[in-house]
Amino acid sequence: MSAETLETTTGPPDHERRTSPDEESAPADRGARGWLARKSVSRETVAMLVVPPVLVALAFIGFLVWRQTAELDSVEANQLKWSTLSRLLVDHLQLTVVAAVIVVAVSLPLGIALTRGRVKRAAPLVVGIANAGQAAPSVGLIVLLFLWLGGGFWTAIIGLSLYGILPVLRNTITGIQAVDPTLVEAARGVGMTSTETLRKIELPLAVPVIMAGIRTSLVLIAGTASLACFIDAGGLGEVLQTGISLFRFSLMITGALLIALLALLIEWIGRLLELAYRPKGV
Amino acid sequence: MTDQDTHTTPQPHDDARDDRDGRRISGVDIELRDVVKKYPGQKAPAVQSLSLTVPAGEVVMFIGPSGCGKTTSLKMINRLIEPTSGTITIGGEDVRGRDADELRRTIGYVIQGGSLFPHMTVADNIAVVPKLLKWSKQEIAARTEELLDLVGLDPARYRDRYPRELSGGQQQRVGVARGLAADPPVVLMDEPFGAVDPITRQRLQDEMLGIQRELGKTIVCVTHDIDEAIKLGDRILIFSEGAHIEQYDTPENILAAPANDFVADFVGAGSTLKQLSLSRVNELRMGEWTTARQGDDAADAVRRAEAARQDCVVVLDERGRPVAWPWLRTLRRQQRIDVPRRDELVTLDRRATLNDALDTMLSSSHAAAIVTGDKDEYLGVVDFESVTQHIRAQEAAAAEATEAGGATEAGEAAGTGEARP
Amino acid sequence: MDDFIAERRRQIAFDMLQHANLVFQCVLVATIVAIALAVLINRFKVLEPVANAVSAVGLTLPSFALVGLLLPLSGLGTTTAFLCVVFYAVLPVLRNAVVGLAGVDQTLLESARGMGMGPVGVLLKVQIPLAWPVILAGVRTSMQMSMGIAAIAAYVLGPGLGSYIWTGLVQTGGANALNYAVVGTVGIVIVALVADLLLLALGRLTISKGVRVA
Repeated sequence: MSAETLETTTGPPDHERRTSPDEESAPADRGARGWLARKSVSRETVAMLVVPPVLVALAFIGFLVWRQTAELDSVEANQLKWSTLSRLLVDHLQLTVVAAVIVVAVSLPLGIALTRGRVKRAAPLVVGIANAGQAAPSVGLIVLLFLWLGGGFWTAIIGLSLYGILPVLRNTITGIQAVDPTLVEAARGVGMTSTETLRKIELPLAVPVIMAGIRTSLVLIAGTASLACFIDAGGLGEVLQTGISLFRFSLMITGALLIALLALLIEWIGRLLELAYRPKGV
Repeated sequence: MTDQDTHTTPQPHDDARDDRDGRRISGVDIELRDVVKKYPGQKAPAVQSLSLTVPAGEVVMFIGPSGCGKTTSLKMINRLIEPTSGTITIGGEDVRGRDADELRRTIGYVIQGGSLFPHMTVADNIAVVPKLLKWSKQEIAARTEELLDLVGLDPARYRDRYPRELSGGQQQRVGVARGLAADPPVVLMDEPFGAVDPITRQRLQDEMLGIQRELGKTIVCVTHDIDEAIKLGDRILIFSEGAHIEQYDTPENILAAPANDFVADFVGAGSTLKQLSLSRVNELRMGEWTTARQGDDAADAVRRAEAARQDCVVVLDERGRPVAWPWLRTLRRQQRIDVPRRDELVTLDRRATLNDALDTMLSSSHAAAIVTGDKDEYLGVVDFESVTQHIRAQEAAAAEATEAGGATEAGEAAGTGEARP
Repeated sequence: MDDFIAERRRQIAFDMLQHANLVFQCVLVATIVAIALAVLINRFKVLEPVANAVSAVGLTLPSFALVGLLLPLSGLGTTTAFLCVVFYAVLPVLRNAVVGLAGVDQTLLESARGMGMGPVGVLLKVQIPLAWPVILAGVRTSMQMSMGIAAIAAYVLGPGLGSYIWTGLVQTGGANALNYAVVGTVGIVIVALVADLLLLALGRLTISKGVRVA
């Protein structure tokens, strides 16, 4: 929810074209940067890849130390048992991963279809509907689904998937539309079929934008999954919910901290995926 | 493959250009008959009944004001745009008789800036069409090497680079190599050298002439630059709106006898200056210059240069290629000639036009330019003097010719509606 | 459903206004804070990557988690809701304001200074008006986002329509559970749409015709 601002861009494009008459001095900056070599990686990107996991690790260690040393009453101790916490963490991860997989499986083909042939004209309409849907508060959506379908894992999954579709859908469409039309024409001009052009040119070049959408979606889903506890689908929200209803600061902070750390970790994984899947040379 | 004698019509001006007798031709004819392109919702068709023949092995330049339909006409040949009516044949075969994608795999296509796929290496870019045609890996690898060599890029160095690691000129070279990859008889080019700086453009044009001399493809090339059209074209087709043919003729005839005011305006004033684009450097009288090899006795070279009243020496490498053009004061300090290879040493291809030659000389500190032939070997040196001499001689010859029989030639070239070469 | 609404007409209207009121106030405060920060960042470029990182991390933080972190500090009620919404509302405006201010043509700034405008004049008369369309786009995003966050903050007794959704959840099985949830959700969507239209109108009024796109 906090990530309801959806990014469609992936940072400053690096499309400077060299036309210097000095033919031999083309840039050949190919230092040994391991698997990062030959992808243009800004210092900021590197910082965003290195700093968050360090902070997350430090915060988590801090939590571990507190958890081992704090004096807990029976209610707190019960809620903060390692077995309970790990069960809730697994719940949370399952919700996130399953919903994300569904989101990708639905919005990627849908997004691609909405850039092809005649269906293309429906794209603004579909994105418009998705956008309007996003204006509905996530809690409202989840509670309505709960009242309609009852609680549990799959109700939560439906809510999270519906909520996560938009970023991937929109970025798939914009990513493909943003591919330089002269490149598409070049591909057709040398004899690629429309399917080959999609597979070999348009999709690979749209990957950075699509991956940014997937990352946004992941963060959105992981955050919204913290509300799953309200409809009996578990997740780390449960610790926080218990903390609030019993008004125990230790539980509130623990719940909030674990949810936040997990979200940051998932965002970081999203960034890694983004970098790993970015085609070389782009 | 069409035999050469089936297409050649006698060309009176041929002797003024590169000697093309006996050269290999791998291209085939392209014919457009009554081709019309009308877009829905538009009153006037973009292309109104276009008929023309592009003879095998020739370079035809399409030129005209923007929106005249030249690009549309080009793209109808490989069916990127489907004609509304009319027929187009390549080598006698109707292009509509085949699947459009398969057709395009047999036609080279080169676009402005190269339009390289940024996520593919140089080698992958060149291999696109051979891969579509399911060539074997070895064949593709061998062909890639060959083509990189052809366009003057060292395969070992450039094969695995990505487009953004190349300069604009290098990208364009790869674009040309990609267009030639499957050895298509016909190559279409859409403003191929529009996105590079003038010096690089000139060099790319020279290289293209060299390649075309070797391969003899049929090339249709859209340009907006009349100088480029004059330099590269065996024929130039000047369009006005609706792809109406104003004149379709050799550059010489278009310059000497524009068919009408439109053409005259389009070619522009100063067509005598444009003649500079028709003459090639190898027609000039080249100056004798003192040359020496790396490692030669420096004092001897200085002595020879002084005897010839020259203040610098052209230094050649072991294969006869110029490497530097040092002043005598540099050599006086040396025992044996040892000058570093100068990357910025600008040389002129012998196929370069006089226009290019003047440009090069103006930017050279020697007020002259070194001329090189095939494989960059040293041929001689030209200076402003040799250019002006050549122009005077040409003017004298032209004056004579006009008195003798210029009238008939002009009448012949003017105003035939149907463009037949 | 009709009866449900008819019976509680006044209360619903009041809560819609409360919801809008909370969000408007938060976004207003957030916009002022964000523009001030952006001006600072524009002056001292070293801060830019820091601000970007804070934005990214901030937007990653789930709002329910932030509610939990704020509770021990500010307790149940409006204060927590206010702080929470402001926190998220700042981020999109900040990001857009930084981009917008950086996008103002340097030569324009020079010529403004050349005409004798002081730094404050340049900021108020040239930089902010030119960056305003981009900033306002950020405000719209911020407003949309805040509507949903305010609903979550209602869990800790913040004001507005969110409470209807939570009531619906608590009364599960009861006769009015669905009514509560629907009124809460749909009500927020309506408030959000109206607010968005108002912001569009504001853009019409405040964006100089010279820089308006379409």
